[in-house]
Amino acid sequence: MPEAKYLLVGSSHAGLEALRAIRRLDADGSMAMLTKDSQLPYSPTVLPYVMSGRSKPDAVILRDRAFFDETGCVYAPGQAAQSLDTKARLVTLADGVQWRYERLLIATGAAPAIPPIPGLQSVPFHVLRTLDDAVNLRTRMGLARRAVVLGAGLVGLHAAETLAEAGLAVSVIEMKNQVLPGYIDAKASERIEAAFASHGIKLLLGRTATQVAALDGGVSVTTDDGRAIEGDMLLVATGVKSCTEWLAGSGVEIDRGVLVDDRMRTSAADVWAAGDVAQGLDFASGERQVLGIIPTAVEQGRIAGFDMAGDAKQKPWAGGLPVNTYRFFGRPAVSVGQAAAEGDGFEVVEQEQPRKYRRIVLADNRLVGIITVDDPFDAGIMGELIRRRVDLGAMKDAFLADPTQVGRRLMSEMWR
Amino acid sequence: MSAPATLKATSRTMVIDGNEAAAWGAALSRPDVVAVYPITPQSSLVEYLAKFIAEGKMDAELMDVEGEHSVLSVLHGACLAGGRTYSATSAQGLAYMFEPYFRTPGLRLPMVVSLVTRDSVTPCCVWGGQQDAMTVKEVGWIQMYCETQQEICDSIPIAYKVAEHADVMLPVNVCHDGNYLSYGVARVDLPEQEVVDAFLGEKNVNWHACLDPERPMAVDPLTGGAGGIGPSTFVRYRKGQCAGMAAALDVIVAAHEDWGRRTGRYWSPLIEDYRMEDAEVALVTIGSMTGAAKDAVDDARLDGRKVGLVKIKTFRPFPAKVIAKALSKVKAVGVVDRAVNFGWNCGPVFQEVLAALYANPTRVPLISFIGGLAGADITPEHFGRAIADTVRVAAGETMSSPIWLNEFDQ
Amino acid sequence: MSIAFDTIAFRAPKCDGCGECMKACSAVKQGASRISIVPGASAGAFEMALCRQCGDPKCVMVCPAGALTKNGASGVIDWSADKCVDCLLCTSGCAYGAISADPVGGRVIKCDQCGGDPACVSACPSGALEWGGAGSIYNRFGEMEDMFVPGLAGCQGCNSELIMRHVMRRVGRNSVLATPPGCIPGMGSVGYNGKTGTKVPVFHPLLTNTASMLAGIRRYYDKVGRKDIVVMALAGDGGTVDCGFHAVSGAAERGEKILYVCVDNEGYMNTGMQRSGATPYGSWTSTTPVGDKLKGKTQDAKNMPMIMVAHRAAYVATASTAYMEELYDKLDRAIEASFKGFSYLHIYSPCPTGWRVASNKVIEACRMSVESNFVTLWEYTPEAGLRFTRSPDRPIPVVDYARTIGKYRHLDADQLAHIQAKVDEQVALLKRLAGEVATAPAALAAAPARTSTPDGAATPPLRHETFRP
Ligand SMILES: Cc1cc2nc3c(=O)[nH]c(=O)nc-3n(C[C@H](O)[C@H](O)[C@H](O)COP(=O)(O)OP(=O)(O)OC[C@H]3O[C@@H](n4cnc5c(N)ncnc54)[C@H](O)[C@@H]3O)c2cc1C
Repeated sequence: MPEAKYLLVGSSHAGLEALRAIRRLDADGSMAMLTKDSQLPYSPTVLPYVMSGRSKPDAVILRDRAFFDETGCVYAPGQAAQSLDTKARLVTLADGVQWRYERLLIATGAAPAIPPIPGLQSVPFHVLRTLDDAVNLRTRMGLARRAVVLGAGLVGLHAAETLAEAGLAVSVIEMKNQVLPGYIDAKASERIEAAFASHGIKLLLGRTATQVAALDGGVSVTTDDGRAIEGDMLLVATGVKSCTEWLAGSGVEIDRGVLVDDRMRTSAADVWAAGDVAQGLDFASGERQVLGIIPTAVEQGRIAGFDMAGDAKQKPWAGGLPVNTYRFFGRPAVSVGQAAAEGDGFEVVEQEQPRKYRRIVLADNRLVGIITVDDPFDAGIMGELIRRRVDLGAMKDAFLADPTQVGRRLMSEMWR
Repeated sequence: MSAPATLKATSRTMVIDGNEAAAWGAALSRPDVVAVYPITPQSSLVEYLAKFIAEGKMDAELMDVEGEHSVLSVLHGACLAGGRTYSATSAQGLAYMFEPYFRTPGLRLPMVVSLVTRDSVTPCCVWGGQQDAMTVKEVGWIQMYCETQQEICDSIPIAYKVAEHADVMLPVNVCHDGNYLSYGVARVDLPEQEVVDAFLGEKNVNWHACLDPERPMAVDPLTGGAGGIGPSTFVRYRKGQCAGMAAALDVIVAAHEDWGRRTGRYWSPLIEDYRMEDAEVALVTIGSMTGAAKDAVDDARLDGRKVGLVKIKTFRPFPAKVIAKALSKVKAVGVVDRAVNFGWNCGPVFQEVLAALYANPTRVPLISFIGGLAGADITPEHFGRAIADTVRVAAGETMSSPIWLNEFDQ
Repeated sequence: MSIAFDTIAFRAPKCDGCGECMKACSAVKQGASRISIVPGASAGAFEMALCRQCGDPKCVMVCPAGALTKNGASGVIDWSADKCVDCLLCTSGCAYGAISADPVGGRVIKCDQCGGDPACVSACPSGALEWGGAGSIYNRFGEMEDMFVPGLAGCQGCNSELIMRHVMRRVGRNSVLATPPGCIPGMGSVGYNGKTGTKVPVFHPLLTNTASMLAGIRRYYDKVGRKDIVVMALAGDGGTVDCGFHAVSGAAERGEKILYVCVDNEGYMNTGMQRSGATPYGSWTSTTPVGDKLKGKTQDAKNMPMIMVAHRAAYVATASTAYMEELYDKLDRAIEASFKGFSYLHIYSPCPTGWRVASNKVIEACRMSVESNFVTLWEYTPEAGLRFTRSPDRPIPVVDYARTIGKYRHLDADQLAHIQAKVDEQVALLKRLAGEVATAPAALAAAPARTSTPDGAATPPLRHETFRP
């Protein structure tokens, strides 16, 4: 029976960062990384670029074979975990092979959530989460003229852009009244909507898909206002859900994701979880949420790794902070923290200029969120200001006028 | 007895003063490093050394340093590195040297330094006297006092032989009197270099403590502390110093004997008895005064008084046993000092002899004479008076001691 | 051992915001500058944002495209133009504002250190940017043997221990080391009760005779042909400038071939913080206490390195642990010079205990002492004369430095003015010696013109010459 002191399931950001953290404390404890993917590690985030052809599928790998040799980690691709027995400390794979672990990391990420739209299951549709998905999409889109995208979240918009750039007529159906709902505010959304519109993309906002039907090798999607949107291909991008199926019956506590504490420990002894699969502390609300972004996956992976390797000196995690960077049709948008917040206790400063948009949210003279369109800023610095709850004091006006300069100044002073 | 046939004992005969004799004795001992700083009455000695080195007669590093403190300090370094070293000083120079001077025997450095003895200020004075050497008698250096220029020259190689002996490993002061010996001229037979080389043998001065990257060690780590191993370590060091001193007595005798075999000159190693066989009173002398004292003894003998003399060559370690024995049959002893023991109101040698005689079953009266301070002459007349006084003491008279021999000189 | 890398260091107090660095970067990179200088907290103060080439780079870990990698050889975080998809996620991983999108074209830009010869550093006229060779030093010396036992009993934050370990690492085993009484042997280098704390031959000379003992050692080894041994001292200021001065002066005058490193903690710190001749004016010490009548030391420190210059020692330099690259450079030259003549290296060493500096602020104190010109860094050889190794221009006020040191806490305005005037005067003098025209400090300007020329004759102009006594 194969066994490892550290068994990491999942080969993406969370798993890789945990590997690195463990190796910083434990240079040679036995380690293995199992992954469902058949490839070397890659990031789901890069897939839109694989789809567009900007990135070649074999050029997006995050770590090569040599890396695993050097770090002394067995890399086992094509191994889907199917169940977990926390008492026996066994992970059973789809092919029946069992791995024994001393310490286990669950880093199986998330997978597309398929909405229960009547007819959807009976038509061919695409999702975008794996390299295979991206390659399939790329092949398919070469043959199609019209595409329908369900969902105007990050994945949907990215794909829509790619499809449009490839010359397809694209329609995007989004339930909410704006794009990137939950991430950005309405005004920022307007600017992004405008960019999409100017590239001929139809954004159907505030519309729900009620029915999907096959049509001449393509699809027809009916919306709640009775319209039928036709396409040669359909992409479903209505959100993700954590990959926790394989944990059923293991006793590991699960809500929307695997519940973890501030050291990424799950309810089961010697089992940690990190990344899109984990539901951990959210900085702003203090509650446990699945944030579903790389920066959080990396942070959690690191904390989990250090804790797995027995680092007793870690500070408790302050929680994840939403950080998103977008670039649609060459126009950057960046948001950090509670960028869309409004209402009591928030001081919102919106700066609207023809060529750029900036929205800064303060609470108690401290930055809590910021978003810009066409005016990229130092997302890492803003994250620090938010996490450290830096009182802007007398610098507030200067900060509002030029957050980049003041942010850099504050960091330069702080790190000296 | 004569020197081994293969070696010529004497290379040449010269008429030189005591400082030059010392310089020759040093040169023949082949020190590696010589450090110098001038002071009256030693100055011409170091000038000779510099001259010998300049002329290539002596193959030593000459270090003209900025003061006696450094004289001894550079020699500490050189010796710990493995070198044989030499220097000379007097009075104030010795006082200024005191800090490293005290350390030298503690480090068990087998160095030889000539003391050209002089009275120490104040009163300000640059003339002969033995106050300098006598003041440092408790510091742990071996002290040998010479009577003649020839003895100076010979005693320096002998001193190296003693200092570097594995049972001793202590520094030696070869003392000769300022003025009388330093500047006084006499015939000196220089030993052959080969004779001295064979006598001294292989040099090995830092086998016990060294500063050498090939044998890294900490020299003189801090010892002591409130208890335990610290103070006991310190005690072992101190005891070792005393053991070295005690062992030196036999080594000194053997070295003088060896020297005599090789050169034909047998110097008395510890003390010299002069006409002591049937003596009823004795004078005790040290250093160059002895010549005049012997004349006075001879004169007294002519007058029918049974007078003898004991000269001290080795003062540290103090040859207490041989002195007690030499003086065991006399009825009174007069000890002539060229220095003062302030605490006991007598001469320092007097006090030592007094202590040594405690070992004898019969008490004899002793009287302290102090003379020759500040370069004063102790003439045969002075010794005559000393003998007369000692005879009176032997007869039972009590006299106030010390008697300052030159007190009324005009 | 892991490997360390050289970096670009920023000395904020020196920056005058001229922007030359940004211009140079833009020009070389043909795009937006990778370095940015931004206004600081007060008028005339500036701050900087630039890639730190982190050892634990978050930008690399958040990059989804594998476009950023930490280069194991150069330490630079390499950016691959081919792999990068310009998603800007990397900007979320950087707390330094050092990776961003070029406003023109939108591609990700970051510093690549110009392959080890950064254009910004060359362009910086104020000395605010420096190419810090600390990484190279670590690589070069980190593997070298530490010549002392671990756990020497120095106080927490002891700068002297730092100096000892660095210096001896560089010097190596073929040496003889003197550590005269003071903190250096006190912390256990010569050991206790027969045990040693050092791997090279080491001894505890008298406080007064260090240079002399060394001279004797060197002479003997030279005589027997063992000329490659470094014969050296790690001595405190007391034994150097006060009671051991005669020995140092004598050895220097004679050109004894030794390396004399004076670790200057400005007083007798080991015996309980008494004043020495190297204690600066105004200092609190246990023998220059602060009370109603006396307010610390009433005399200025003697300038020992200048005294060594007056001896025409083969090499004289001052150094500070805040500037390790320089210290190592000087150490190299000092060692070399010690085979030719007397080599004197004076290293300033704040004492956390005796100066009342927090142990984590010691290096900061070192740095500020230099930035304020309280300590000037220079070197001298008889052949090349005296030259500054760090420009004394644009100093911070001495009071800023003094405020970080507890032993100056009591100083009043007059005392601070005295110190500032003395610092200015010393710098002016050094500038003359270095052949740089000095602007007369206020204290000198106010004094009547001093001239050695006869009355009526013009005072000769300052000559642009290097000092060669
Ligand atoms: C198109 C797209 C765009 C995105 N854009 C952004 C963006 O701009 N910014 C951002 O921050 N985030 C973005 N994300 C989200 C980001 O990719 C994720 O947050 C991140 O990848 C999470 O990393 P993870 O390690 O937790 O899991 P994942 O990346 O989801 O990886 C999960 C790993 O687990 C493996 N696995 C899953 N189940 C099993 C099993 N049962 N057995 C074995 N192995 C298993 C998978 O093969 C995979 O290796 C995007 C995601 C997508 C799909």
